[in-house]
Amino acid sequence: MNLHIINVIIGREYMTRVKKKSFLITTFLGPIFFAAMCILPSLIMFMSTDKGKEVAVIDQSGIVMPYMTSNEETTYTDCSGIPVDSMKVRCKEAGMDALVVISPLDSVGKTVSVDAYSGKPMSVDMKDAIRSRVNEAVENYRLESYRIDGLRQIIDDVKADVPVSTFTLDDSGEEKITSSEVYMIISLVLSIIIYMFIAMFSAMVMQSVIEEKSSRVVEVLVSSVKATELMFGKIIGVACVALTQFLLWVVLTAVLVLGVGSFVGFDSIAGSANVQTEQMAQMTEGLGVDPSALDATGMNMQVEMPQEGSSEMAAVLETVKDINYPLILISFVVYFVLGYLLYASLFAAIGSAVENEADTQQLQLPVTIPLLIAFFIAFYAFKSPDSQVVFWGSVIPFTSPIVMLARIPFGVPAWELALSIVLLVVTFVLIAYLSAKIYKIGILMFGKKTSFKDLYKWLKQK
Amino acid sequence: MDIIQCKDVSKSFGEKVALDHVSVNIPKGMIFGLLGPNGAGKTTLIRIINRITIPSGGTILFDGHPITQSDVERIGYLPEERGLYRKMKVGDQAMYLAQLKGMSAKDAGDALRSWFVKFGIQSWWNKKVEELSKGMAQKVQFITTVVHRPSLLILDEPFSGFDPVNAQLIRDEILKLKEEGSTIVLSTHNMESVEELCDNIALINKSRLVITGGVDEIRHKYGNNNVELVYTSSASLQPAGSLFRILSDTCDSDRHTAVLSLERGTDTNEVLRHIISQPLVVNSYKELVPRMNDIFIKLVTEEE
Repeated sequence: MNLHIINVIIGREYMTRVKKKSFLITTFLGPIFFAAMCILPSLIMFMSTDKGKEVAVIDQSGIVMPYMTSNEETTYTDCSGIPVDSMKVRCKEAGMDALVVISPLDSVGKTVSVDAYSGKPMSVDMKDAIRSRVNEAVENYRLESYRIDGLRQIIDDVKADVPVSTFTLDDSGEEKITSSEVYMIISLVLSIIIYMFIAMFSAMVMQSVIEEKSSRVVEVLVSSVKATELMFGKIIGVACVALTQFLLWVVLTAVLVLGVGSFVGFDSIAGSANVQTEQMAQMTEGLGVDPSALDATGMNMQVEMPQEGSSEMAAVLETVKDINYPLILISFVVYFVLGYLLYASLFAAIGSAVENEADTQQLQLPVTIPLLIAFFIAFYAFKSPDSQVVFWGSVIPFTSPIVMLARIPFGVPAWELALSIVLLVVTFVLIAYLSAKIYKIGILMFGKKTSFKDLYKWLKQK
Repeated sequence: MDIIQCKDVSKSFGEKVALDHVSVNIPKGMIFGLLGPNGAGKTTLIRIINRITIPSGGTILFDGHPITQSDVERIGYLPEERGLYRKMKVGDQAMYLAQLKGMSAKDAGDALRSWFVKFGIQSWWNKKVEELSKGMAQKVQFITTVVHRPSLLILDEPFSGFDPVNAQLIRDEILKLKEEGSTIVLSTHNMESVEELCDNIALINKSRLVITGGVDEIRHKYGNNNVELVYTSSASLQPAGSLFRILSDTCDSDRHTAVLSLERGTDTNEVLRHIISQPLVVNSYKELVPRMNDIFIKLVTEEE
């Protein structure tokens, strides 16, 4: 190995990429994107509330209208005297966005049915709002029909809404209030970023190998340097590009967040983070973590938020402050570098075997599948970080870089970290050796489309 | 002294034998032609000398010692399939390739600039390769092959893709490099340039060495002792039994051009004595050496 020459190769691979416009753009837009992610949820919530919908209500039951209370979003107008058919016709000219017709009360089932008409398809939010109001009316009607004194009071007393606060215990038994949602978000974001980084930069290595091969410059290159020097020079050069980008993202995001923070005050950021946490919690529940929690979405959430917000926010702030950022950053760098080295070697071997990118499809499959599996396991990891599949996923080398990183925010025993890193390093050395063998032969093979059988033959060749 | 000695070099890819016990010596300071039909194994031999490919058997001596990776810095190689990074600037690219040959950035910059001036292409330095025409890119590639002043220069079809003016420019540079002491290996199908430039050749066919040696020696060896005689006479030359046969005799007014076939080992003086004894005036008498082209075709088709 000639270190001077490898440095020259690394230098070229690094400089040509860092000088590219696309690199500069992603490097500087990335932090802006991250910062926007913090502000956007509250912005979307603000923007998504419909303004001033007018709804005409024809209440044939006589029990619902008192519950159709107007608010900022919707104004309900009582049109009960007007026949349904003529209202349908006049609806638009009367300036109504929708018409809600409540059927006469079914005295047996003690219920009503509701038909809603509107010019444009009705939004889910509005439908939910109408349904919850009518439900409330019907429930109250039924309660009263029992004619039991104070039943209303009893029901209200029975309703339970138990707040759950989560704490973590450290070794000395000291407790800390935490927000599991914050850990989930960090875990999710980390696994998405490391997956993106490994997939993107490994693919970059493959493209670069294909470029050298298809432009035929490779034969001149290998007449000056060893094929393995060329391959590893390239892999290391691209790794430096990735690390530069990551470092700049961390620094710029920190500068941006601290800058904006000192400008508008940390509370508003924390508030925004809180809104985000709530939404994430909803989203994760929606993903099927806990089906029973689905009820908590919609109206109830909006009603509960004001009371719970303050204690929840304290937990979020406490957790955000308490996160071990250095550990996360170091783990990211370690697992990215090792995972990237493993996958980039494989992708380099694939690139060497083809003459243009269109031919990579078939050969790429066995390499991209473990990467995707890792991503899916990581998606599971942020819900249940200590399950069996997640444990094995974080130890097996092909999935460990992504899955382990998803586990890091929840805390991982040191021996598991050590085991996964050692396995990853050993696998990398083995894969790098095999990839280099394929690469050496592949880059000078032209004309014939390469199959897995050919790759196997090349591996056996001395 | 030979700069390269290939001893019994073999290479097989799986079942396919690309080189079968080939031994070739390339003398220092000469231009050596490596000939052979397509697929004969020339590129494999070149790649083995370049250490791109490791031989399955045999040894390569460079300047008397077994070749090592560091010797590669003293070799310059222009492959048949040319290629440069399309998106890279010409100057950056040339600097990169020169540094891969072990030059320092400063030496590479100085040497490249003088070559660019010599070829009149200074203005290309900041252009991207994809902006250049094929011929222009070839010039750049030639410079990157020779910029580190290699002791051994391996050129695979160096003239293909050049117009006659630029081909002459390259030819002159090759001769200049030879004068400066470089050894040049020329792999080409262009037999005229072999006759014009090469001192020695090796012919490879079907993975085997067919012949190697000096160009003149080989041409004489494969000559069939024909002689061209130009004479002036009103009558035609008469054959002389066992001494020579007349293969052709064309006549333009009184001026004749005849091709004579001599028996091997015939004394030229005796032939001449016989000719001048006839009523004619000799204008010229010249030995007909076969063209490399004919020898190539003869040797390759004989093998079939």
